Amino acid sequence: MRSAGVAIAWEFRHRHRWGLIGLAGYLLVLATIKLVVVALGQPVKLDSPESFAFVVMVPMTATFVYLLAVFTFGLAGDLAARQSMYPTRMFTLPVTTAALAGWPMLYGTAVMATMWAAIRLFGIWPADFVVPVLWPALLAVSLLAWTQALTWMPYPLPGLRVVVTVLWLTVIDAIVLVALTLKTPEPLMLAFLAPQVPLAYLVSRFAVARARRGEVPDWRGTFARLGRRAGFATHQRKHFPSPARAQTWFEWRRHGLTLPGWVAILLPFELALLGIAGDSTALVFAILIGVLLTPPLMAGFVAATVRNANRSGSDSLGLSPFIATRPLTSAALIAAKLRMTIWSTIATWLLVLVAIPLALELSDTWPVVVERMSRFGEAVGAPRAAVFLLLVLSGFIASTWKQLVQSLWVGLTGREWILKASVFLALSILCAVGPVLVWIAENGRVQAALWDALPLLLAVLVSFKMTAAGWVAMRHYHARLLSDRTLVTGAAGWCVVVLGLYGLLAWFLSTPLFPRYVLALVAMLAVPLARVSATPLALAWNRHR
Amino acid sequence: MVSESVISVTEVTRRFGSRTALAAVSVSLPRGAVYGLVGANGAGKTTLIKHILGLLRAESGTVRVFGLDPVADPVGVLSRIGYLSEENDLPGWMRVDELIRYSRAFYPAWDDGYAEELRLAFALDPSAKIKDLSKGQKARAGLLVALAHRPELLVLDEPSSGLDPIVRRDILGAVIRTIADEGRTVLFSSHLLEEVEQVADHVTMISEGRIVLSAPLAAIKESHRVGDHVPSLDEIFVARVGRAAASDAEA
Repeated sequence: MRSAGVAIAWEFRHRHRWGLIGLAGYLLVLATIKLVVVALGQPVKLDSPESFAFVVMVPMTATFVYLLAVFTFGLAGDLAARQSMYPTRMFTLPVTTAALAGWPMLYGTAVMATMWAAIRLFGIWPADFVVPVLWPALLAVSLLAWTQALTWMPYPLPGLRVVVTVLWLTVIDAIVLVALTLKTPEPLMLAFLAPQVPLAYLVSRFAVARARRGEVPDWRGTFARLGRRAGFATHQRKHFPSPARAQTWFEWRRHGLTLPGWVAILLPFELALLGIAGDSTALVFAILIGVLLTPPLMAGFVAATVRNANRSGSDSLGLSPFIATRPLTSAALIAAKLRMTIWSTIATWLLVLVAIPLALELSDTWPVVVERMSRFGEAVGAPRAAVFLLLVLSGFIASTWKQLVQSLWVGLTGREWILKASVFLALSILCAVGPVLVWIAENGRVQAALWDALPLLLAVLVSFKMTAAGWVAMRHYHARLLSDRTLVTGAAGWCVVVLGLYGLLAWFLSTPLFPRYVLALVAMLAVPLARVSATPLALAWNRHR
Repeated sequence: MVSESVISVTEVTRRFGSRTALAAVSVSLPRGAVYGLVGANGAGKTTLIKHILGLLRAESGTVRVFGLDPVADPVGVLSRIGYLSEENDLPGWMRVDELIRYSRAFYPAWDDGYAEELRLAFALDPSAKIKDLSKGQKARAGLLVALAHRPELLVLDEPSSGLDPIVRRDILGAVIRTIADEGRTVLFSSHLLEEVEQVADHVTMISEGRIVLSAPLAAIKESHRVGDHVPSLDEIFVARVGRAAASDAEA
């Protein structure tokens, strides 16, 4: 290779060839459809927002996020670390810092711009939509350039990178959204966006130069001293009373604060919207529902880190020898993880339950909520209303925990093919679910057929779940990973929770619309069983390869 | 039934894809001696040690440590072993005192006084983060938690690879300390044959997944004697394995 620029380009191309081939395939399909449609003289009609989202917006957004990860070197870096995410192996290359910062930025810019041009040309746009020419490309390039600059910067505190990057990108996005709302002409948009790229380049050059010199500011000592003064660390010198407690502490320190941390970052932005909600009951409740949905949604993302068997080891999927050689059973290692997820869920919801009343008070929206709750209480009766609210809250809390633990088994197997297959399956379901829902919503006969078949569908799902649980129990029995007593106690505990949930559902939904057996099936599906009980097996499979 | 051997490996074969990492390996290590496991890179030393620790399941053959199957009973086996790996994957986010406090919880025989003595001898700052320690200090921290519960079996997998002579001296000192306690056993894997020669009573040479030589060090030397010249372990290794151990170590 004749130059550093060519070598860096080769690395991007070679390392991400499958992703880039997939992207080219998508564009090819899009182009073929468009050319065939245009060649046949058919007008492009895409009135349904869901179809438009499925065909253009979702793939475009996914591609944008993927390209952000590629050109920031984010797929190999630690987002939460203080150190720069720029690969340290490249700092010893005989090239200038300007080149190290400039080439990835230039390639990212070129790919983003090409991507927009292709989507604009081949995308199936609604007939009445005037597709902008330049500014979306410039927006994508600006967001990429700033993400590169901010992720390559060393930070004084762990996690600060995420906060700074999210905030800064939100500011740029918000300005563009306001400009769109005000129907700002394209030249003005360009005037705002064009300077972003050179500015971001200067910041990224500074960031890479600092990282290259090994300059990583450190404020942790200050916070540790403050913590000690506040007495947070006084109890930490005590010995652990048991190995199980020590392992729970280990898991808590590794992952326990991740979910509360992310929710704590998002909550202020979401709850600040209450300030502009005024007396609009619909808006206030929409914001509150959004806030209540945040922990379970974030738990889905955080689960990817919790389930990672070996975050820092050389083999990113295999269990680290340090953990694998703990004198604990695989079941005890899993129990520690589960205890950590429970504490993490509790901490997250304490945060939410403290923040919501505070935000309602500060935004003067308490009366709106109180008035609507009083009316609800009058309509269904105070006890039923109270139980309903408790049930909804418990549902959100249980769902948060479920999101954290239900995919644990995937990562703990330590098998790349299982991880990739599960990601592929999840993405396929995500892509399919939108169009299927639209199809169902637009088709009355399908809805009726589905309603009739609902008990059968639920019964099939329950039989799948119970078969899987039975298989897992047999494996546990043969592998002796859990004692017979633990197996029986676990099964009995699951039955008690299912019965309790069924009782609550039967009491609350006492309507002929929902037969009792349907409620029983729903309760059986809602309470985790097979996947959670499979986690010790998955870990043992990884630990004793 | 309690086995007389601390480690008993019988006819263990392991393949990774088409490559055979261990081919019908059998090893039996009685209690109370230092065993040197030597071989070139990729010979199968770490694979054998991983079977002993239960990190790999024997595809064929059996592995028993203290008479127990390390896969079926990890607690029974691992609570009696001190282990230091070449990889040294101690959690970087822990402070040294946290590592000691955490490790202590797993071993009922943990000796606080001995742990503190080792910490002082190794000059480890209790408030230092593991990830901020040098490679040598990390090895010392790993050695501390491997030794402080006075394990019946100390397993050192290439512990001194890439370390300076002072840390290597500490590691050899640890081996000597361990065998000073009666009835304890050390399994020491290395390709630095001079070190093995200094401390091992018994040497097992492994090459391409097969045991090529396993006998007491004195007997090995005696059997390779040529006239008055008693060959070094390096020379014996080169003769038996056919490769220059020194150049391999440098590589």
